[in-house]
Amino acid sequence: MRSGERRRITRWRLPPLPLMCEAKMALRLGAALLRGAGRRLWAREAPRLCGSETASKPPPAPPSPYQERPWEYLESEEYRAAYGDKPVWEGYRRNHKGAVPPQRTRRACVRKGKPVGNPCPICRDRNLHVHFRNVKLLDQFICPHSGVIFHPTHTGVCMKQHKLLTKAIEQAQDHGLLWLQVPYVPVPRDDFSNRHAAVGRTPAAPALAPGRLWYPWYERQPPPPAALARLRRLYKGSLREEAAPAAAGATADGSPAPPSQGGAE
Amino acid sequence: MAALAARARAARPWRVWRAPWGCAARRGLAEEAAGEGKATVPAFTDEAVQTLLYKMTGLDLQKVFRPVRQELKPPKYKLMTEAQLEEATRKAIEEAKEKLTMPPVLKEREPINDVLADDKFLEGTETTKYVFTDLTYSIPHRERFIVVREPNGVLRKATWEERDRMIQIFFPKEGRRVIPPVMFKDEHLVTVFQQDRHEDILNRCIAQFEPDSPDYIRVHHRTYDDIDKHAKYDLLRSTRHFGGMVWYLVNRKKTDGLLLDMINRDLLDDATSLITLYHMLHPECQSAKEAKEGKLQGVDLIKVFARTETQKEGYIQLALQAYEEAMATSTAS
Repeated sequence: MRSGERRRITRWRLPPLPLMCEAKMALRLGAALLRGAGRRLWAREAPRLCGSETASKPPPAPPSPYQERPWEYLESEEYRAAYGDKPVWEGYRRNHKGAVPPQRTRRACVRKGKPVGNPCPICRDRNLHVHFRNVKLLDQFICPHSGVIFHPTHTGVCMKQHKLLTKAIEQAQDHGLLWLQVPYVPVPRDDFSNRHAAVGRTPAAPALAPGRLWYPWYERQPPPPAALARLRRLYKGSLREEAAPAAAGATADGSPAPPSQGGAE
Repeated sequence: MAALAARARAARPWRVWRAPWGCAARRGLAEEAAGEGKATVPAFTDEAVQTLLYKMTGLDLQKVFRPVRQELKPPKYKLMTEAQLEEATRKAIEEAKEKLTMPPVLKEREPINDVLADDKFLEGTETTKYVFTDLTYSIPHRERFIVVREPNGVLRKATWEERDRMIQIFFPKEGRRVIPPVMFKDEHLVTVFQQDRHEDILNRCIAQFEPDSPDYIRVHHRTYDDIDKHAKYDLLRSTRHFGGMVWYLVNRKKTDGLLLDMINRDLLDDATSLITLYHMLHPECQSAKEAKEGKLQGVDLIKVFARTETQKEGYIQLALQAYEEAMATSTAS
């Protein structure tokens, strides 16, 4: 201690030793608890590597050559080599715990851009596209005996692809590309003469003739002379220009409308 | 089963007036025919015409009751005596006749464009049309009032398309959609015809459209034209659409292919009925006059018809020769 400096009184101080790992963890745990962070409390932090050491991401896969015309893939040699005559879902096995598989397949085979392990029969082949014109592919997912679409637990496709398949099959049936059983509708036995007023020609109302108005008050009508005369009689003393009939007509306009016109509203 | 089919054909009664649709229309036509005698052209609903068409349609039980793709059920087996089998066959024939009722052939309906009111003061109050439908349950659909209020205040009767859509929304019918499927457009009909599904598309058309709507008539005509072009007449034989097709072809004088098909399949009776129907519809043609003078029957009638009215006379002569040779060999052996 140098002279002139006051001696600092320290109550107690931890020795300046390097902190143990467990202590560091305890500090972080405490901090995490205080922060309320979502990270699991017992997880060890991954070692941070510097930028040059991070593994470079794999290049994105090239787009499938059958994007525009997916039905051509099912005629090609590579399809025949991969699947032969069997449907694309034959031989696919789902991975699940226990003997009984879950009654719903997974929601989708691509999670945050990355495919899962063991993707479903459609997602694992990048050339298979579910399109309403791709009739041969859609046919593989319809029962040949009852015409019903197979359940996803039978074929193994993910729920997203199953939804796309259902929509595409319905669209293909609408366009006439896929067969659809039509229920027998007996021949209609109505009266087709179309003479009833609801569907036949009815004579138009006289007010609809050209040149005539639907309501007479659509264009300005002069007030009836009897009403004018009555009003003149009533307000004889207070009319400003009794002599001029135009002015009398203007003042008479200010009065409330006669009851017949009010009823038509 | 071939024996059953043969028995069915033999047991077909000499029938009969069926399909009493459009009662008022039928009565009107009958009165007209009675009033004017034979000057009027026979209509589709006349008894004689219906008998001929029904005869030509045939009744193949195997085709009428063929298995279709539906929910699978375990098969049912029944042990029957000979009498019970006869009874069951008779019932099947009755049911098949119900299924073979011909759908009506009508003219295109007149468009509706009647205005009921014109309230100009409502202009600008609304931005959309309002459709008012009378939902009384017990009235027939053709007597139901459906009106539309436009944004400019005009109150008019709904058009036929609007009527069909509204009635389907409130009183849905099985097999009919509010908006007709895309397959009824001309460009998609071609795809359906390539798969030989003419009967399916006609059944679907009957379910979807009214018999006097322009879409119904257009789809039927396209189907018949395609069948005639590719000579696929057998697709519609033993179905309820055959009568309509024959009526269409005979009215337009396009009977060559059909006649040839009938002779090739040894259906001489059907060929003579076809020619009789042709003469009923076109009484002033050459072969009708010759047939009436000479009272021709069977093969002679066909020969005269082929000579005067058809363009494929050579083919028909060849087919007739082949038929006669086959008959000769079968009678000889």
